[in-house]
Amino acid sequence: MTVTALTSGTGPGLQACSAFPRASYPDAVTVPLGELARAWLAVGTQSVGGATSTVSLMRLRIVERTGWLSLREFMETYALAILSPGIHLVALAALIGHRLAGLRGLVISVAGMMVPSAIITVALSVIVGAAGDHPVMRAALAGVAPVTAGMTAGLALVTARSTVRRGRRGIVDLLVITIAFGLLVGFPSSTVLVVLGSALAGSVLLARDRPGAGGAE
Amino acid sequence: MGALELFVIFLKASTLGLGGYGSLPVLREDLILAGRATDEQLVQALAVGRLSTGPNGTYVISLGYFAGGVAGAFAALVAACIPPLMMVPLVAVARGRLLSSAFAGFVRGASLATAGLLLAIGLALLAPQGAAGVAWWHLVLAAVAGIATYQGRMHPALLIGAGAATGLALGRS
Repeated sequence: MTVTALTSGTGPGLQACSAFPRASYPDAVTVPLGELARAWLAVGTQSVGGATSTVSLMRLRIVERTGWLSLREFMETYALAILSPGIHLVALAALIGHRLAGLRGLVISVAGMMVPSAIITVALSVIVGAAGDHPVMRAALAGVAPVTAGMTAGLALVTARSTVRRGRRGIVDLLVITIAFGLLVGFPSSTVLVVLGSALAGSVLLARDRPGAGGAE
Repeated sequence: MGALELFVIFLKASTLGLGGYGSLPVLREDLILAGRATDEQLVQALAVGRLSTGPNGTYVISLGYFAGGVAGAFAALVAACIPPLMMVPLVAVARGRLLSSAFAGFVRGASLATAGLLLAIGLALLAPQGAAGVAWWHLVLAAVAGIATYQGRMHPALLIGAGAATGLALGRS
């Protein structure tokens, strides 16, 4: 069953769908919901390793194997998704799903990617939580803690690499990073003010160039 | 801790954070510093998120589980999905404005701040009790993990496995 048939109803959800019409994508193909669900379930169950493997699987399933989107369309959608708050790849799945099959496509795409991942995450959490007080687990976590600390710092550097401009303007960018770092170390409760203050300052002072698309999703 | 309260906290963090780990500074402030979860649980959640499938940021589901059980995990999942979904109507009605230089500057400013905040959190996770509790092998593990993450050449599960093995060898007290 295609979404064209499904959207012939008149429920509130379908009216919401027509409020954000797919006419934004006049040449979009309409993908059967079952095929769309299979593609996203594959992404949600096989993408071990975070954003890199998830994006690779998305591209494989949406661009290479099915041709539902061209590579250019996929990358344009990705460029919009990295502007979103929260998890960028949820925005990417939502935008692709909406483009390919309307509101139901959006729901299937996001749920297909996130629900299997959430089930696996909870199962792993149950195991880790249950063994958390065992001496062996505590010793293992003593080694995992500095690794997660290093990974977090590494992600900060990846984010900076994709955002900091070259040349003199990069000095301003590095200054913003340093101030944010110093404020959170000195005032641990300043997170919201730091993010919003930097964003507002950025809209005035940093508006000449677009951010890169290679950040930590 | 109630699922509704957790939902509000995770929704705030997801709304203010850019990217999968952008929510980390707000969550550390609202959950760990507020005494609703521990740094140890945050470390466990970050490790689980790295071992699981899906995009960066699934650690919030694990953190929700540790703070509020399965209901907490569900609250975190829903809260993490809502802000990114707002991009669909935004793109439909304001695609041009989203691609404007002013909005790009807004996003760039938030991204730069996120980089600084993540650096500070990395430091806090390495030395939650201060510098006195940091052993030499902690520093080596953190440096190796940081470089490997920056280069993107090693699977995160391998790094976590190596950290666990090192902890078993050197971390028994």
